Amino acid sequence: MTNEDIFAKIQSRFPKVEKAAVQVKDYLTVRLSSKDELVPFAQWLKDSSFDMLETVTATDLLGPVDMKGFIRQQNFNPFLPEGATPQIEAAATAGYPYRPVMDLLYVFFSVSERARVFVRLEIAREGVSVPSLVPLFKSADWQERETFDLLGVRYDGHPNLIKILTPDFTVGHPLRKDYAHIKDRFDE
Amino acid sequence: MAMILEKLPGLTKGLPGGELLLTTSDYFIDLGRKQSMWPMTFGLACCAIEMMASYASRLDFDRMGVIPRASPRQADVMIVAGTVCKKMAEPILEIYHQMPEPRFVISMGSCANCGGPYYDSYSVLKGVDRIVPVDVYIAGCPPRPEALQYAVVKLQEKIAKMSLKKGLATPQQEKGSRDINA
Repeated sequence: MTNEDIFAKIQSRFPKVEKAAVQVKDYLTVRLSSKDELVPFAQWLKDSSFDMLETVTATDLLGPVDMKGFIRQQNFNPFLPEGATPQIEAAATAGYPYRPVMDLLYVFFSVSERARVFVRLEIAREGVSVPSLVPLFKSADWQERETFDLLGVRYDGHPNLIKILTPDFTVGHPLRKDYAHIKDRFDE
Repeated sequence: MAMILEKLPGLTKGLPGGELLLTTSDYFIDLGRKQSMWPMTFGLACCAIEMMASYASRLDFDRMGVIPRASPRQADVMIVAGTVCKKMAEPILEIYHQMPEPRFVISMGSCANCGGPYYDSYSVLKGVDRIVPVDVYIAGCPPRPEALQYAVVKLQEKIAKMSLKKGLATPQQEKGSRDINA
């Protein structure tokens, strides 16, 4: 089954789902229009042989913010000659559409068809939750906990949404772009 | 007859019959300690690969009396090989207290020395010497197996200076291990 066949099947059932502008490698990458579509879409994928959820992750697309917390000196270069002014690297990539959204990514795999579908979904960064896929896929459990721990995405209906990687004394979600480190007992 | 032997292997031959041997207790205890440094296998990151290479037959740590032990109860020295995360700090402290005294710590590689490339990270301890006293630091990312063996040689030199009268501490341990002039 080629990517076009899969996408034609998706289009016939979910007309709002469109192809993402950037495809992940040569896999079919689709973008959902809203978070209400997520659970029916995942249910439909599970019923149509994409019965393995490989990855749940997210990307923070907020632009560069002020370096707080641990970065002591930007672009520190001990090999600069005497009197030279250090070049501060531009923190933002020119032309990249930074915006305050969280870009979720789900990867579904079909063992029988040997095909993958990458599903992307943009949600607002602050205070917005998405439905959990744990009732459908058991493998979503720990991966949603990890995404919550590092990026602060809330998954509605997750049975046990607590920290999984960072120690108890870490405050906040470290991979968020606006994360500011609060010194703990192991810092000076 | 009383003889004080500081050069043990050379003079044992010359003793009549080899039956009686007199030496200082410090020298004798330190000799036993420094020739059987049993480290605890404690690989945390990629430095552990170099540590394993130095245990293996090409570099042969065994010829220096270094035999890795799987239990802290049987170990004399802890080789902290790799990045120490803050989550790992408490297990390291627990294992350090389980080791019998006198115990020594070798900090292997830039990460264990000072945080290394993760100096600006939120999750990495900036040097294992913030939680346990370190005897020998090895620079490198990662250090070669020869550097680890050299560190054990330096630690043997330290142990040779230990004395019972001073409460088993080396001059460096009394003044702080970062004082290189001690």
